[in-house]
Order: sequence, then C-alpha cells, then structure tokens
Amino acid sequence: MSEASRPRAWVALSQPLVCGGAVLLLCGAFFLAIGREPLSLLWLIAVSAFGDGYALSETLVKTAPILLCALATALPARVGLISVGAEGQLYFGALLGTGFVLMAFELPGYVLLPGMLVTAALAGAAWSAACAGLRAGLGVNETITTLLLNYVAALLVTWVVFGPWKDPLSQGWPATRDFPDAARLPTFFDSRVHLGLWLAIGGALALHVLMRRSRWGLELDVIRSNPRAAQGAGLNFGRHVMITMAIGGALAGIAGIIETSNIQGRLQSNISFGAGFSGFLVAWLARNDFLRIIPLSLLVGALLASGDGLQMLAGVPSSVSLVVQALLFVGVLLVNGWYASRRS
Amino acid sequence: MDGLDALGAFAISALRSATPLLLVMLGECLTQRTGVINLGVEGQMLVGAMVGYGATAASGNPWLGLAAGCAAGCALPSVHGLLVGGARANQFGSGLSVWMLGFGLSALLGSSLVGRQIAALPEIRIEALDGVPFLGPLVAGLTPTVLIALALVPVVGWWLYRTRTGLHWRATGEVPEAARSAGLSPARIRLNAILVGGLLSGFGGAALAVDYTRTWAEGMSAGRGLVAVGLVIVARWNPWLTLPAALLFGGAEALSLRLQAAGVTVSAHLLHTLPYLASIAVLTLTYVRSRDAGTPAALKAVMDR
Repeated sequence: MSEASRPRAWVALSQPLVCGGAVLLLCGAFFLAIGREPLSLLWLIAVSAFGDGYALSETLVKTAPILLCALATALPARVGLISVGAEGQLYFGALLGTGFVLMAFELPGYVLLPGMLVTAALAGAAWSAACAGLRAGLGVNETITTLLLNYVAALLVTWVVFGPWKDPLSQGWPATRDFPDAARLPTFFDSRVHLGLWLAIGGALALHVLMRRSRWGLELDVIRSNPRAAQGAGLNFGRHVMITMAIGGALAGIAGIIETSNIQGRLQSNISFGAGFSGFLVAWLARNDFLRIIPLSLLVGALLASGDGLQMLAGVPSSVSLVVQALLFVGVLLVNGWYASRRS
Repeated sequence: MDGLDALGAFAISALRSATPLLLVMLGECLTQRTGVINLGVEGQMLVGAMVGYGATAASGNPWLGLAAGCAAGCALPSVHGLLVGGARANQFGSGLSVWMLGFGLSALLGSSLVGRQIAALPEIRIEALDGVPFLGPLVAGLTPTVLIALALVPVVGWWLYRTRTGLHWRATGEVPEAARSAGLSPARIRLNAILVGGLLSGFGGAALAVDYTRTWAEGMSAGRGLVAVGLVIVARWNPWLTLPAALLFGGAEALSLRLQAAGVTVSAHLLHTLPYLASIAVLTLTYVRSRDAGTPAALKAVMDR
C-alpha cells in the first residue's frame, strides 16, 4: 500500500490486464455454472452498459452515488479509519432532506434545492459523526458501529414511508408524495444524468489535489502512517477523525437525497441498490486514491446498470449482477494480493 | 402465577431469537481468536439459510436441511481464506466481498423457494412440566436448535481453553511468531478457523430459516451476522460470554415483538431498531470499561491498522 514500493513498468502494465482476465474467467465460470453461455452474456453486459447513448447515460446515473459513497469511504481511510457507513449516511441524508422538501414544498427552487442539499449533507455528516465521536472519544471500533447504524437508518426511512410521511393518495404503495419539480437537480444530455455526477467528479478531483498539495493532506498522511510522530507534532487524531468522517457523511447524504429527488422522485424504502457498499469496495480497490476511484466507480456503475438490461433482454435475474460485482472484487483483490506478495 | 408465565414466555422468545445469532457468534469468536475478522458471516448466514431451507423443502427432512446449511456456510468463506491467507487482502474488504457474493448467490438460487412450505423439526415436550409456572411456557417454546446452540457454548468454551488445539488457536491470535517457531502453521490454523466459523454461521442461517422463521426471503438475516461480529467484541472473545451477549440482541428483539403484540402504538419499524441500538450501546460500554483488554494481539493489528 505504500508509495515506496513503486512497481516496475511491466508490472504497472500487466497488473490491470491480469486483473481483467481473472475477473472475466471468474464470471465466465459462474455463467457456465448457472447454465448460461459465457461469451454472449458478457457481450450482453457490455452492450447494456455502454451500447448506446441511453445505456451509457444509465451507467452514469448509477455511477454518481457509488462515486460519492466511495469518497465517503476513502476520506476517513486517509486517517486509517475503516468506515462502512456510507449506506446509512445515504439513507439518513435522504430522510432529513426529504423532511426539508416536505416542509418547504411550495417554496421556489432557488430556496428549495440548496436547502434540501444542505439539510441532506448535514444529516449525513451527523450520522457519520456519531460513529466518529465514539471512535475519537472512547475508542469504539468504527467499522462495527457504522455497519450497525446502516440498518437503523434504513429502518427509519421505512418507518416514515409506511407511517407519518406516507402519501395518502399513493394507495398501498409506501412512499412519500412526489417531489416538486423545483426540487430536482438540472439534468444533461436529454437523459437522467444529473448535476450530482459532476459534483461527485469535482469532489474527487478536489480531494485529490487537497491530499497532494495541502497541509491538511500531509497531516492526514502523518496521522495514518505514524501516529506517534503525529502526536509529537501536536496533530489531533480525534479532530481529524471527526472532520474526515463528517465530510464523508455529507457526501453520502447528498448522494441519498439526489437519488431520492432526481431518480425516484419520492422517498421510498429502497433508495440505493447498495451504492454504499459498492462505494466501500470501490474505495478499497482504488486503495483510497481519489483519481483511481473515478474509473472504478464507472466500472461498477456499468455493471449495475447492465443488470437492468440483462433482466429485460435475457431474462437473467438482477441478483446476477450482484454476484458479478462480488466476483469483480474477489478477482481484483486476489490478483493485487498476488502481485504484492511477489514484490515483497 | 400469570406474571411468571409471561416471564417464561418472554425468556424463551428471547432465547429463540438469540439462537441463530449465538451459533454465528461462537464461530466468529473462534475465527477472531486466531486473528481474523470475517464480515462475510452475513453472507454465509444467507447461503446457509437458503441451502438449509431448500434442502428441507426438497428432502422433507429438516435435519438434512440443517446439515446442508452447515456445509454451504462452510464452503463460502473459503473465498475469505484464499483472499486473506493467500493474497493477504484487507480483511474488511475481503469480508464484504464474501458478504456480497453470499447475498447475490442466495438471492439468485433461492428465488424459487420463496413461499414454499417446509416440514418442521420435532417438538420438544416434557409433560411433567405442563402447567408449571415459568418453566412450563419456557420449555413449551424450546426447539432442537435452541438446545444444540446452548450445548455448543460449553463445548466451544472447553475446546478453546482446555484442549491442545484450542491453545494453538489462541497462540496464533496472540503471538503468531511464537506459534510458528513452535512448529505450528498460523496460516493453516487461520484457514481452519475461518472454515469452522463458516460452518457455524451456515448453521446459524439454517436455524434461522428452517427453525426460527420457517421461511426463506432474500436478505433475511438482516444484519444478524454483522451484529454477531460486533457482539463477539462485547463478549471479549470468550465463548462462555457469547450467550449473555446474544441474549441481549434476542431480548431486545423479543421485547420489540412483545410491545407490538401488546398494541403499543409505536411503529414496528422503529421498534426493530432496538436490537441494533442496544448492540451499539453495550459495545460502547464495553470499550469504556475495558478498552483493549483481552483483544487478541493479531486481531488488534487488523482492527487498528
């Protein structure tokens, strides 16, 4: 993981290729095992993710929340934290963001939209800061608390859409009333691709520059790699835990409210197709490098988008794309580990 | 006497809810003792539940179903063993991949099982206790998996603390270098621990589907595996303490069900947050009281990085 062990050129070239080959082999074996013809199914995945303008736009739509959640994982990882809470932060952001929309329903867009985004960001940050506070103050392992709070946040959303915020006009369907058009972010290319994608990419680039060039990035590196030296230099571990977790939570919260307002149009109990967990794995595959996170998020977004296409075109259940996603991570972790052990 | 009966009914309801969790915790406790944390138990539970339910539906024999669930739960984490042991991948990333794999596979292969009926495990009846306050309702609710799980607590405790292999496993988690120089293979011991943890989590999943809920649904473990990983810390990696820790979750779930049945107007969804919040609360208390005392050294290196 350290930058010191710089791979030689051929390794840098061959590693991604071997990774890709391993993942394709794993997926091929899996397709064979469930009685499908591997090559045609792989081709179908590629076509339904990138085949035409519509497919590409749906891929980008799925990429946005994954990218934001990957940032929410990678930033705390810079101080050595393992937060798996993006899913919960996303839900809680969607929850309170929706609350703001329902309260400010009639207000014009220039109040409604920023208010909604800020509320969601603060909500995600607060949800994340709860675990950060437990870690910084009492040393409670943040991986476990963030994981458990994911379920609590999802249950809270389920509660409001079945209960107090349920739209009486929606018959049996548990959801809030439809968001007003003023609460939707601008879209591009005549598709569902929204401003959130550009926010996410901009966030990734900004964090990349900050980590490389700013004093803050340097401080985080020192805390992670040498806690004792950090203490000697007067760097406050707890403060940086709170800041990185809160910023991460804010990004995930924004992902949640944008999915709710732009993609689903109302709050319902299933918001995210597991974007929080995909984001976690993307961040780990990218080794928390903010630049590498962007193409990897696109790749996983493509996989998930292709799931819908597969279901329609080939009658393949959507859970297949979940398995393929898992095989992607297994294959890459395996090959990366193999290369790392050869180097050392 | 009514009060005692209600207490007995509550106790058994907590125990039944705790049983799948207890089985997973016993396995994860052994795994973590050797210095490996496995978040994949959540997916292993799901695969164990799906295979256990499917095998019961196909064969008509719930015992066969439980055995099949154990086998499936044992097979899946070989991926974790390969990634963590062979490729030295990050344990949290690897565990999440296993979880996702288990979730996807069980949803895919289990879709035809939704709504199927299965045969029940035999009832346990002790007629002498019918009508006895507290004990009567307690025993009336007992099921075979509850008894097996309770029996496994002392077995695992004895095995870990009193046998030679148990000592080897603990040494692997505390001082792997010493274990290695004593001629042991920490890598092999950790792989074994991951597989045993898998077997017990598969059993836990099967107990959940075949005995406790008697249904199969996608994602039905609902975080129990992750709760188990957290509660193992609460139990300070001591198999004997897994029972009270599991009962904490079971008690919170039983309480939320009891409150609903009693017509409390609080939403069921809100009440369902209770077990998770209770787990976090007691985890926090554990950290306040004991900090890092008792954490296997190799595991501490993984968790604190």
